[in-house]
Amino acid sequence: MNLLICLCEIKNLLRERLLWLLIIITLFLSSLASYNGYQWLVTQNMVIKNAQNEQQQAIATAKKGLEKRLSLSKPINWWDDPYDLRGQAFYLMINYATKPPLPSATIAIGQSDVQPNFFKMLVTNKQSFINQYEVVHPLILLLGKFDLAFLIIYVLPLLLISISFNALAQEKQSGQLRILMLQGLSPLRLLFNQLIIRASIIILPLLLISVTTLLQFSNGISLLAVSMFICLILAYAAFWLALTAFVISYGKTSAYNAAVLVISWLGLVIIVPALLNTVIVTVNTAPSRIEYVDMLRDKSDNVDKSSSKVMAEFFQDHPELANKTLTNKVTGELDTNYSTKKIAKIVVLEKAMLPYDDAFQTVLMAQQRRAEQFSYLSPATILQNALFNLSGNGLIRHQHFIEQVMLHHKALRYFYQQSILIAHQRGDFNPCEGCIAHVTLADLSKVPKFIYQEQRSSTPISGVVVLLLFSGVFIFKASSRLSEMNRSQGGNIVA
Amino acid sequence: MLVLTLKKEWLESKREGRTLWLSRIVLMLLACALLSSWHSFQQVQSQKQQVETSERERWLAQGKKGPHSAAHYGVYIIKPDTGLSVLEPGLTDYQGVVLRLEAHKKNDTLFRGIQDSIQMQRFGNLTPAFILQTLLPLLIILLGFHSIAAERESGTLKQLLANGLCPKKFFTAKVLALFGLALLFFIPVALYIVYSLLFSDSITVQRSVLFIVSYGLYIFIWAILTLIVSSYARAARSALITLLVIWSLTCLLLPKFAINNAAKQHPIQSSQIFQSKLESEIYTPARQQAIAKFKQDTLTEYGVDNIDELPFAWSGAQLQFGEQYADTIFDRLFGQRQLQLEAQSLHYQSAAILSPFIAVQTLSMSAAATDLAHHQLFSNAGEKHRRLIQATLNGDLKDNGLTIRSSDKSYQGDRHLWEIIPQFFYQYPDIGQLTSHYRRAAICLIIWFITLILLSYFAIKRIRNEGQQ
Repeated sequence: MNLLICLCEIKNLLRERLLWLLIIITLFLSSLASYNGYQWLVTQNMVIKNAQNEQQQAIATAKKGLEKRLSLSKPINWWDDPYDLRGQAFYLMINYATKPPLPSATIAIGQSDVQPNFFKMLVTNKQSFINQYEVVHPLILLLGKFDLAFLIIYVLPLLLISISFNALAQEKQSGQLRILMLQGLSPLRLLFNQLIIRASIIILPLLLISVTTLLQFSNGISLLAVSMFICLILAYAAFWLALTAFVISYGKTSAYNAAVLVISWLGLVIIVPALLNTVIVTVNTAPSRIEYVDMLRDKSDNVDKSSSKVMAEFFQDHPELANKTLTNKVTGELDTNYSTKKIAKIVVLEKAMLPYDDAFQTVLMAQQRRAEQFSYLSPATILQNALFNLSGNGLIRHQHFIEQVMLHHKALRYFYQQSILIAHQRGDFNPCEGCIAHVTLADLSKVPKFIYQEQRSSTPISGVVVLLLFSGVFIFKASSRLSEMNRSQGGNIVA
Repeated sequence: MLVLTLKKEWLESKREGRTLWLSRIVLMLLACALLSSWHSFQQVQSQKQQVETSERERWLAQGKKGPHSAAHYGVYIIKPDTGLSVLEPGLTDYQGVVLRLEAHKKNDTLFRGIQDSIQMQRFGNLTPAFILQTLLPLLIILLGFHSIAAERESGTLKQLLANGLCPKKFFTAKVLALFGLALLFFIPVALYIVYSLLFSDSITVQRSVLFIVSYGLYIFIWAILTLIVSSYARAARSALITLLVIWSLTCLLLPKFAINNAAKQHPIQSSQIFQSKLESEIYTPARQQAIAKFKQDTLTEYGVDNIDELPFAWSGAQLQFGEQYADTIFDRLFGQRQLQLEAQSLHYQSAAILSPFIAVQTLSMSAAATDLAHHQLFSNAGEKHRRLIQATLNGDLKDNGLTIRSSDKSYQGDRHLWEIIPQFFYQYPDIGQLTSHYRRAAICLIIWFITLILLSYFAIKRIRNEGQQ
């Protein structure tokens, strides 16, 4: 019986021009979204490759020019000297911290267009580099890119609604439904078969294009990621189909159904997420960045004004460095050089700014937690969360990257402060009056390098489960209504 | 006739529970968005004012120090807002609000709101502009899609025409009714504008007029488009589907495609390449040679052999020369990037011929000064101020750098010098002076308006034919 209904439905659909139009639209949009995702992956990889090449190039150039530098006798500015630890630390260092995209990054561009995937490191306070960003036209960020996530979250429900809102309507209008029901066919079975056939027309081309592109072009993508992606699409489609069945089960006109479904789409995909975001941001208000600037300036001034206090605080935290520092024979005070003072100021400033930096982090994490809690209010937010995390372009992976960048920042600072102190002790920076400084950093490859450690990410299975649960509820409700209609046989829908 | 039809439309809208509820929800959302946006605007303005004052005090109270140290100390300036940004935050969250002005460097603005936000932010914020540009057209569609098509379906259209109904008046009344109904949603926004015009100086009349006229046209375009489609459609169902397709294309898909295509047509370099290029083009042997030549020319001009014999401090002159050398490279590289970004904006605006959303969004952001053009105006003004600071400080070092040489201490500037540098103050120019930035969008919106007026002639003809059949 099911096969017969499906064949009949396919026959009916083939007669409609709309069918072919929808297939073409789905194929076109899926190809475009997959292409955009792939292009983005290529761009991201290229940026990282360029950064790594630049870093390697700097090491190679320094190696090549070492002999020439060693032969120099006339003094040169240390801030222009790539073989001087101080010049490298504060001005010349080419050292990048990069976050490689996951192979599944083609699924969702996510936050990767607003969060930088590389930082150029220097020994400076973290506030100077952590706010770096990729300059693009801001409208691109506002409107976003047309990727698979956008296609699935926004367009897929519209395509599903447009092909299925009038299911059962034709049979009802022509009076066929009554005859079919008298022959023992339940409207429930007819509707579900119709919906499955119609949805397949949209979902199959979408899956065909997107999965093929993922397997073909996303080198190294795991089968688990692909399976999860498929599950998410199917669960999301199931939600919209179940909702459609629920609306249709009320037995109103197809125009009414279409209007209700579009309003539902508007509410669930546009209004609820935007409203949720506004509420979350209002309830957990982030501190002001403008006031942060004010605070940063004040703390900076304090650090600059109380130099001796800063040094004392610094050496209290780093007694191992105090031991290496020369003591002035006349004053008995620690003979600190410019670079050590500069590093000490950076350390103390960062320490002073820590509560303010933490405040942003705490609020951001609280907002994210709340967003995850309330994401169950809309299928769109459930899916966005799942797709962003699956693609590795969500907030969590970025936070993990930032944590590693901070560790690298500390490692670089430690490397330079130790090396500078040793060089200072040896008198390498000022071997004699009017002499050129000794080479203090002959091999740039000894400078710590950043290696991104991938964090094990959780599979967004809960998203699938919740979407299926909602679908189950709608299907149950629709089944109850349609069964009731089937029992009465002469209900409103048939009349 | 007109009044009767208007009355009937009003009654029908009231009876239509579904759309009435939706209207109430949209109106409530609009009111909430307006209040929340206004509250946040007030807070930010007060913070900006406070920080600007303390930044100026910090600059003046920095104490005695070398002018070049003061140049490195620098100042932070904050981008101003207009009162219309309450309604249209536009690109505010996607561009920084703070700019650091310091020696040797032209910085990009800092602290983009989007970097401090959760991923749900990508669904957008519920702002008045979002509601007016995206949700209101959908509401207009839902209110009006069946207006004529349903009359045709139920057969009442033929009856009305047989009773001597004038199709032109009928259509005009339907358009006016829908337009009037949609305009009700604009009332909170209009009230805010009037209030701001009367009681605050954060809004100018010119910008308000541009804002109101743009939205007025936009709402009218959607109202007339809905009724044209409704008069052509054989059934309300097909009218709704057609209108929804138009809405999804013009409000959701086309803007996305247009800006991404613009970025492809006028690409800019990645920041990583841009920054490397900037550094590699400034600090070159050519720069060293240029400084050496400048030194030689100066010595020749003053007829001396040594910089110590010059009647001024060479360090000040050399620093200023270095600044000017870097400025030419900044002008070229940042200028190229700015040109490409402007080309992207214009390319995007051209797509307004296919999407009234793009047109109204561009005009709305221009009026509210929250677009890229205004951001660049602010950045350029900031850069001008930076150069003024550098020229003043380096000039002072040049002129007075020798004065304390005998005491073996380097020259230091004091509060008198810091006071010479004015506080940065920027006000956006009259919107009339910026027509080149949004002219294309305005023309496209007018083309939409005229085209739909012309198309309504055919819609009326179609209604007339209905009566003759």
